[in-house]
Amino acid sequence: MLDEYGNIIFHRLKWTYLLLIVAALMSPVFYVIYISFNEFGFGAGRYAFTLEWYGTIFSDNLLMGALRWTLLLAVITTLITVPMGLLAAKFYKNTRYKVATVAILLSPLFVPSDILGSALLVYFKNLNKAMESLSDMLGNEWFYGWFELGFMTAIIGLIIYTLPYIFIIILITMARYRDQQTEAARACGASGWRAFWDVEFPQIRPGVGAACAFAVILTFNEYTRTNLLKGGFDTFTTVLISQLLNEGMSEQSYAMSSMVSFVAIAVIGAIIFYTFIRAERLEREARAKAAPLMAE
Amino acid sequence: MASQGAHDTEETVEGEVTISTSPVRFPGAWLSGENGAKKWVFYLPVIFMILFFVVPLGLTYVWSVFERTAFWMKPGFTMFSYINFFTSARLDNFLYSMFHSAIAVAIAFVLGFPIAVFVRRRITEVAQHRVILLFILPFMVSEIIRIFALRPLLQRNGLVNSVLINLRLIDEPITVILYTPTGVVIGEVLSFLPFIVFAGFLAMEAVPKYIFEICQDLGAGFWRTFFDVILPLAAPGIFAGSVFIFVNGLGVALLPNILGGPGAVNAGLIATQAISALDYPLAMAVSAIMMSTLLLLLYIGHRLFDLTRILSPIS
Repeated sequence: MLDEYGNIIFHRLKWTYLLLIVAALMSPVFYVIYISFNEFGFGAGRYAFTLEWYGTIFSDNLLMGALRWTLLLAVITTLITVPMGLLAAKFYKNTRYKVATVAILLSPLFVPSDILGSALLVYFKNLNKAMESLSDMLGNEWFYGWFELGFMTAIIGLIIYTLPYIFIIILITMARYRDQQTEAARACGASGWRAFWDVEFPQIRPGVGAACAFAVILTFNEYTRTNLLKGGFDTFTTVLISQLLNEGMSEQSYAMSSMVSFVAIAVIGAIIFYTFIRAERLEREARAKAAPLMAE
Repeated sequence: MASQGAHDTEETVEGEVTISTSPVRFPGAWLSGENGAKKWVFYLPVIFMILFFVVPLGLTYVWSVFERTAFWMKPGFTMFSYINFFTSARLDNFLYSMFHSAIAVAIAFVLGFPIAVFVRRRITEVAQHRVILLFILPFMVSEIIRIFALRPLLQRNGLVNSVLINLRLIDEPITVILYTPTGVVIGEVLSFLPFIVFAGFLAMEAVPKYIFEICQDLGAGFWRTFFDVILPLAAPGIFAGSVFIFVNGLGVALLPNILGGPGAVNAGLIATQAISALDYPLAMAVSAIMMSTLLLLLYIGHRLFDLTRILSPIS
């Protein structure tokens, strides 16, 4: 772990600093979790531990309705984004225009949410009007309300948001796969799909799994684009913000926030843990394979 | 990711194999890779991005010169929205938020980049990615939760103040850290710090470990090594991370909305306020100005550092 020039005390100090920064970044979350266990809610002078608020989440209709919408959004976004990420990574590997492809697929990262959200909002409204006039010209109502603000527009906004992340994750995973294996499978007579599904996919599965988890969590946490594009319904984050900016947050919302944070941290923690173990196993295997060779 | 080292050693042996097998065309070969890029289905993500990302943002320039009507806008050519933006307090707010964003970038760089250097330099290759993954944890908790929880942390009788008072470091609670531009800067640093760590980590890919040893052997001091060797090599990645933080500091309305006081308004907030006031051309003008700022920054960065270098690790 240390090279010969390293100083052990400095090394430990740097580690401490690194962990302190992570802790500082996490501190707001811990504080919310702390408040959620207080029987007297936020801002009270007293503190008594309780799990009561977690029990009452499920009878809070506003939160439960929002949660249902959020879950639906998350699942559908994931179902669309992850295959699209796979397609995009495949496209990237084979195209000659790599820089342009990456620029288009990654640039949503650099456009702030409010700017993209407002642009999409006006775009959808205009599209809707254009489609309606097209319908009027044709004398039917086929194209009415295609891009009415609502579930679908929110999904489109969320795909734009999540695709760059998913693309990167899948690309990194695919970098470890070697194409000769596909060629071997093809030479043995497997169809293209079969070569992908039976040979390549099992090897990139951990990455795809991580990408799914990412997509769900990112969608769950997204506020701005969803808020601008959602039309009528409420999601978890929009409920939080409207409570926050208006009457103040309810205890149930604190409990809900910490529960969502728990789940997200647990899922990502599990993925990190899994990749640790997997990496260690692969390393051990590689070492075991290399050992006899070295003995010669 | 983590086992890359193990594979890398084998790569050299199999290099010859890759060269000798030129892509063989199989009938109906799609998804397997050899001629997959020619199939229309692989163009879907790119087409989707063009349709719902490039086109809307490009059209903001057109819509920004439309005329405003009571509830919508109508085609025309007027610079009214731009005049409205550049001759009101909005311009001051925009410039101020640029200034605060730049401060946030500087703080995030000073706090975050050393971590990337440390991880690349002192930690074994297998462990590096795991340490960096630690910084994904805060990112996985909703931005909303991380930002609003800063209110109880930073307010007059909040956690930070009460701890400092109890330690007798201060007598009066500090009030400039919430509902002020300072609060917004704190929020920006806490929200975007992981990105400078990630970008710095990617950037340090261009600085192999032995470079540090060479510097040491040649007797270059710490600052000399940093400014003359590390910084130029890692510049594209650092620049990308900094632009990311800078632009998001300008464009995320939530930060000034929750943490800022009356004076803290950024471009994102101006745009969303214009949307709720049904002044769509103004919102589009703000978006167009933001896009121009971003493109200008990326262009300058590309001319200075050749940003395509960042992509070398994944291509």
